[in-house]
Amino acid sequence: MAQLDITGVAKTFGAVDVLRDINLNIRSGEFVVFVGPSGCGKSTLLRIISGLEEVTAGELRLDGERLNDVDPARRGTAMVFQSYALYPHMTAAENMGFSLKMAGARKSEIREKVGKAAAILQLERHMDRRPGQLSGGQKQRVAIGRAIVREPKVFLFDEPLSNLDAELRVQMRAELIDLHRRLKTTMIYVTHDQVEAMTLADRMVVLNGGVIQQCGRPLDLYDDPDNRFVAGFIGSPKMNFLSATVREVRPDAIVLDDIGGSSASLVVPFRGFDPSGRTVEIGIRPEHVRLAPSNERLDGDVEVEVTLVEELGDVTYVHASMPTGERVIARSDDARHRAETPSRIRLDPSRFLLFDAAGRRIRQSGAA
Amino acid sequence: MTIALEATESRRRRWPTITAWDLCRWALAISVTIVVVFPIWWMINVVFTEPGTPVSINPRLYPTSFAAGWDKVAMILRETGYLHAYYMSMAYALLTIAGVLLLGSMAAFEFALFEFPGKRPLFGLIMLSLMVPTAVTIIPTYLLTADLGWINTMQGLVAPGLASAFGLFLLVEFMKGLPKEMIEAARLDGARHFQIYWHVVLPLTRNAMVTLAILTFMKTWGNFIWPLIVLSNAEKYTVSQVVGLFNAPFSHQTVDVVMTANLLAAIPPLLFFLIFQRKIVEGIAMSGSKG
Repeated sequence: MAQLDITGVAKTFGAVDVLRDINLNIRSGEFVVFVGPSGCGKSTLLRIISGLEEVTAGELRLDGERLNDVDPARRGTAMVFQSYALYPHMTAAENMGFSLKMAGARKSEIREKVGKAAAILQLERHMDRRPGQLSGGQKQRVAIGRAIVREPKVFLFDEPLSNLDAELRVQMRAELIDLHRRLKTTMIYVTHDQVEAMTLADRMVVLNGGVIQQCGRPLDLYDDPDNRFVAGFIGSPKMNFLSATVREVRPDAIVLDDIGGSSASLVVPFRGFDPSGRTVEIGIRPEHVRLAPSNERLDGDVEVEVTLVEELGDVTYVHASMPTGERVIARSDDARHRAETPSRIRLDPSRFLLFDAAGRRIRQSGAA
Repeated sequence: MTIALEATESRRRRWPTITAWDLCRWALAISVTIVVVFPIWWMINVVFTEPGTPVSINPRLYPTSFAAGWDKVAMILRETGYLHAYYMSMAYALLTIAGVLLLGSMAAFEFALFEFPGKRPLFGLIMLSLMVPTAVTIIPTYLLTADLGWINTMQGLVAPGLASAFGLFLLVEFMKGLPKEMIEAARLDGARHFQIYWHVVLPLTRNAMVTLAILTFMKTWGNFIWPLIVLSNAEKYTVSQVVGLFNAPFSHQTVDVVMTANLLAAIPPLLFFLIFQRKIVEGIAMSGSKG
């Protein structure tokens, strides 16, 4: 059991509010990822949990015990740093056993626990080496090993894969998932990389400007974001946003005009639209925007200027410019070597997400 | 044709052209070397030659009698308190080094890695003391030492040199370069304040500590004024004081004997510098590049 409850946590540095009213319950054994752009407060929140930073307001409880005034070493948390923070003058084994040595453990106990952690991480052959003699991936494993040896209730990871190359990052990601399955310990992971967040998380917490924007399972956030920020942050390439005017409100649909400044008019299934709102912003993911076949013209097709074609092999992304100058990305699975010419895109109205001027999601009334 | 061209180019690269600027630099470097090395060479020359030869009408610039030199060395070690002076100087230097390293590293640990009220003005004040010439502080320091009853004692000799502003500056600059995350990791690993200093920071500061130790040795070994003031008892004289006696106007010693005493005093720092010169340069360069 390691349930972490964060209630009303706020943090200010001088006059700057870094975190505001953070409320979060992290269940035992859960893999939670804090994600957000630089400066959103995710690392600060992690450091608050670890005890390296103090809260300005609010409370943290681990298994019911108040953590606010507990020494970082006695909180039952262990942290893996972005820069590994290994002690360069100690061997891998000494690095991993340092916390036990500080706790006054017997040498035999240290050897046993370090050996066990080394076996989990397949580090046995490197235990006599110093950090300078290890590769990036091995250093990262030693840093994780140092955390495992402490047998924490909660693992804290602060962008641990950022310093690794792309291939190793994918490999380490898989290893972390495997480690979580085996240890079944609560893990909190901070990253600015939303792909990393999507692949690792049981639950994602999206932060921006020191405020939790949304919290939920990765695909829930992808499919059903609460606001424009979450919609834009989750997904790669990011969601397209197009301005539109509401021309007509029907009981179960609305008619949108002037989409991205084009003459196209589309009927969007939507129940209970508040007729006072006349302008909206459409959010639509690239996979729901298609290039219209040149020999087929439908009413809702939008004329665009293709500005860039990204051919990734399995998929091609076509970047285009709308008449208003808004950018739109269309995904195409079969278009290859497509010329950068004027073209038409076809939007799928059933996949539209609507946002108001403040960036809040406009939801259908009575929708599930 | 292409191959021939490439071959010509590579040959050109192997023989870089020597410019007038290069020649000037070499001339300057050689001149400085001569100015620095010649006195030491002259000292060796005077010692290892029959008395009178180097300063005769037809002087020689190289040693001619090693036996004569050894005789002078043996005579000085046998007939004067030189060995005891060596012991005093060595004890003075080693105790000062130990104290400077201990106090300097502990103070630098706090100044470089932690925040505390008044840190900046305090550090500024210490750095300001670097600007104050020794001549200004020597009388108050003497009076204080005398009040403590430490005249003619080892503690009187050593204690005033333990607080080294330069040492603190060197170590602070070095420690500022240590990653903060490493200190945080140690805190999370359960290390207490002193344990972080002892187990993490101190081993990582080794290079700077070695540099400071060597520089402190050089400074202490060559220190003349403070031992002269605080040690009036001839039995407690350091090497620099004994050398001073040889050089005194009425010492009745010939030039070659005085030079021998000088040479014996110069050997330890010379050896130290030759052995550790790479570390000294590295340490100073490192402390300068981070800040």
